[in-house]
Amino acid sequence: MVNVTVDPLTRIEGHQRISTEVDANGVITDAQSSSLIFRGFERILQKQDPRDAAFLTQRICGVCPLSHGLTATNALDDLYGVAEHVPKDALVMRNIFQGLNMIASHATHIYVLFGPDLANPAYRNVLTTLGDTGNSVWKEMVGRFAPISYKMDGAAVPAGSSYLAALPEKKRLQEAIALIGGRMPGPSSLYPGGYTYPANVADITKLSTYYLEVMDFVSSHTLKVPFDTWIENTYKASSPQKAVSFVTEHLQGLVDKSVASNDFSKEAGWGDVEFYAAFGSELVGETLLGLPASLKHDTIGGYKDPSKICFVAYGGYYKPKDGYDPRSPEGDRIFTSGVVSGNLEYLKFDPDKITESTAHSFYKNSADDFAPAEGETVPFTDPEKIVFTGGSDSQYSWDKAPRYDGIPGEVGPLARMLAIKEPLVTGLALAFNEKGYSAANVYTRMLARMQETAILAYELLNWVTVDYEPGGKISVPVDLNAAKNNKGMGLWEAPRGALGHWISAGGDGKVTNYQCVVPGTWLMSPRDSNGVPGPLEQSLIGSKINPVGDVDYTNPVGIYHMGRSYDPCISCAVHTIDLTGKRAPNTLRIL
Amino acid sequence: MSTGIKNLVRTLDGVDFLKMDRRTFMKAVGIMGASAFLGTYKTDIVKALEFAETKVLWIHGSECTGCSESVLNAGNPDLVQALEKLNVNLAFHETLCAQQGIWNDGKLVNTSELNSEILQEEIYEEGGYILVVEGAIPNGPDGSGRYLVIGNKTFKDTLGEAAKNAAAIVAVGTCACYGGITSADSDVAKDTDYRGVAFAKTDKSKGMLQELNIDKPVINIPGCPAHPDWVLLTLGAVILGKIKVPDDLPALLDDYNRPKVFYPPDHTVHENCPRRGYYDRGEFDEQVGGEKCLWKLGCKAPYAHADCGIRRWNGSVSMCTQAGGPCINCVDPGWPDTSRPLYVEREDIGVAGANIDTVAKVAVGAAAVAAGVHAVRRMKGE
Repeated sequence: MVNVTVDPLTRIEGHQRISTEVDANGVITDAQSSSLIFRGFERILQKQDPRDAAFLTQRICGVCPLSHGLTATNALDDLYGVAEHVPKDALVMRNIFQGLNMIASHATHIYVLFGPDLANPAYRNVLTTLGDTGNSVWKEMVGRFAPISYKMDGAAVPAGSSYLAALPEKKRLQEAIALIGGRMPGPSSLYPGGYTYPANVADITKLSTYYLEVMDFVSSHTLKVPFDTWIENTYKASSPQKAVSFVTEHLQGLVDKSVASNDFSKEAGWGDVEFYAAFGSELVGETLLGLPASLKHDTIGGYKDPSKICFVAYGGYYKPKDGYDPRSPEGDRIFTSGVVSGNLEYLKFDPDKITESTAHSFYKNSADDFAPAEGETVPFTDPEKIVFTGGSDSQYSWDKAPRYDGIPGEVGPLARMLAIKEPLVTGLALAFNEKGYSAANVYTRMLARMQETAILAYELLNWVTVDYEPGGKISVPVDLNAAKNNKGMGLWEAPRGALGHWISAGGDGKVTNYQCVVPGTWLMSPRDSNGVPGPLEQSLIGSKINPVGDVDYTNPVGIYHMGRSYDPCISCAVHTIDLTGKRAPNTLRIL
Repeated sequence: MSTGIKNLVRTLDGVDFLKMDRRTFMKAVGIMGASAFLGTYKTDIVKALEFAETKVLWIHGSECTGCSESVLNAGNPDLVQALEKLNVNLAFHETLCAQQGIWNDGKLVNTSELNSEILQEEIYEEGGYILVVEGAIPNGPDGSGRYLVIGNKTFKDTLGEAAKNAAAIVAVGTCACYGGITSADSDVAKDTDYRGVAFAKTDKSKGMLQELNIDKPVINIPGCPAHPDWVLLTLGAVILGKIKVPDDLPALLDDYNRPKVFYPPDHTVHENCPRRGYYDRGEFDEQVGGEKCLWKLGCKAPYAHADCGIRRWNGSVSMCTQAGGPCINCVDPGWPDTSRPLYVEREDIGVAGANIDTVAKVAVGAAAVAAGVHAVRRMKGE
């Protein structure tokens, strides 16, 4: 048994450690996921003007600041009692704003954070022994996905074509957000009851231009099937089976064309999505398409016990009409709320079933489990007790452990795509389940993110060109007195998954309590009070540290993939929940 | 770009940057923006390539990665092109690097090509790099720094090691400069004890480097986030030798180590705000979504010493007040406490400690501006 620890797990937002015990076959037998920082964010809103939350919670995360800002704004809409009256055009502006950010964030994850691991020498070592096909595939992987400042065997490796092309697109999307939000990161345009900036006709034209430019990138690098054809036959397919058949037939056509020439280039029709869809999976690539090798990303990062996991979506993107329901009941949002069990059964989402445990976290709370609105955040103040090497029974993370109805939940693109019953992702999940794989694995997690990006691009165009009407009403007045002795709840979807903010105000209208439960906390969570590991920990345990090739403890590429496949945001995860510190660590508590 | 600036750029086109004196240089880059600077002056950029490669070591403390995100939004040329043009080797950056920390049974394994911790040690040993720090540094609990431990090392220690052999140190973002959001007043602030690299809020004696007994000059580029132009132009100026560290710093930086060219002591965001005309006419928005002056919605632009109004953000498409949100003066050493409540007009604001000489004058200036608003309001009989 070898202890293999990745610390820090770089190319994520924030600072994370993954510690594993690995047997002689390279299989992980135990794992701890530790968030490494305490920011003490929690007290800053106490006794403050509630409206500051829309600005200040954005500082939890600079990658998806506006998701926090928007979730806070939802909570404020509820607090001031205006959620039912927010004008349609303000809601559509918020959709455009969030949609652009989610696309930019996913593109960053795919190309800048996850992609570089596909150029890891571990793949070279396997692929280059597989003759011309293997060599061609490796050439594509390193040629597309190598990051900047990369070296192999002492020689500098130029940054990949897709990597380099993606950076300006990310910038372009951020610019589009700034156009309607002031700047990015840190936009200023969120306010309860509406939106601060009514885009005009010139802005709409500009947004459309940005859209066309980004789609040029997509058709040159990402997806070689015409975009409309892809949406029509996947997102709009009449059944999950039809969506999967469309994709596998398309991939089979590419394989038939390329296998003799060993040409897997973009010019030959292999966009990055097609390339990963075929070569990323053992089941799809080897079993279905008959490829000689694959990266076997479907064999790692899965859940071994479906009764210990579920998929949670709070719901995001308002329907284009005046007002919305702050409790996000099923069907209220374009991406509906929903909970899907580990066995892929559909359940209704109930925000009252969320709890958080601190049994394995660095907090000295009065009890192990709390509903978010009752949460405590009393950090260890003894430096000797902040230790990350104590093993699975110890307290080992700054993350708390959120649970839905007592069960760990995966949030994010895969959960959202399952919740809306997106045909392609649902079809893949069912197919993997049926063939004895975990429905959730590194491969399906990445494909769900890619598919969600495509769907958002499709929906975005509708929001910009159809649903938004320049010159419409953009805000309703907010009565600040309405906050007095009131509460608000904001439920939303950040790029990384379900995001919730809870706020209470006192008789003076100032904040008495502010809480967040964020995607990173769900995903990276440590064990709970029942000793059940969090989603990342479960996906590590039983998976191999090297999905292909010999066991190599010194380059556990499987751990990198599993950790990064969740797109972790640690700054979000360790914002530490209770933004007011209702129960302060250094004050006497009278119960 | 306004016509005036375009003319200036045209006039300066072809001028040899390397021969330009520092004063003219700083004036030029201040007004032009990174894209014009790096894009227009190809001759100088080519000469820069004759310089030895400059290594940049970029470390992340308690941060949200927003400043890295912001720098990735740099104009034309983008970050990658800028690095190439200035012959910069971005040797380490936690969010972008290929490496990660890899440990077997508690020992570092593999090489610097895959292991971030070995890579950093090699960079420290070689020395002579520009150190960029993003994020604040926790000193707590009890001075241990253990509220942030990366790769089995407190970030406090990492900063100390990285700073020792650095040729120049640049703190990027309000957190790294002064503590930022993590230093906001709260009842855990004394436990976490967050510090900036060379300041704790406005206190020059409590920066983390002072705590570590390291005496090195630090250039502060605050902002939440920092503007990519401010970061790249400062790095560019240091790399091209236009700013000699430490000799030139006293003349170029203000009392809070901010380059005066981007954070002008005698100029606020208010002066070039796109809504300024409404202010002058005494027309104010009281509900969001309008087009008038945002003073009554809490705008702090009259207190904000930054060139946002001229430079704008994200390819110059907009800025906070243009989009209808109040300026929150995120470049202030006391941010966010000096700006809260964000949506309420404040006339008693103490910008960065009014007891300090030069800033006091600025605060008085800002107060006069606020009084102007009063005057206008009285005129309108409100």
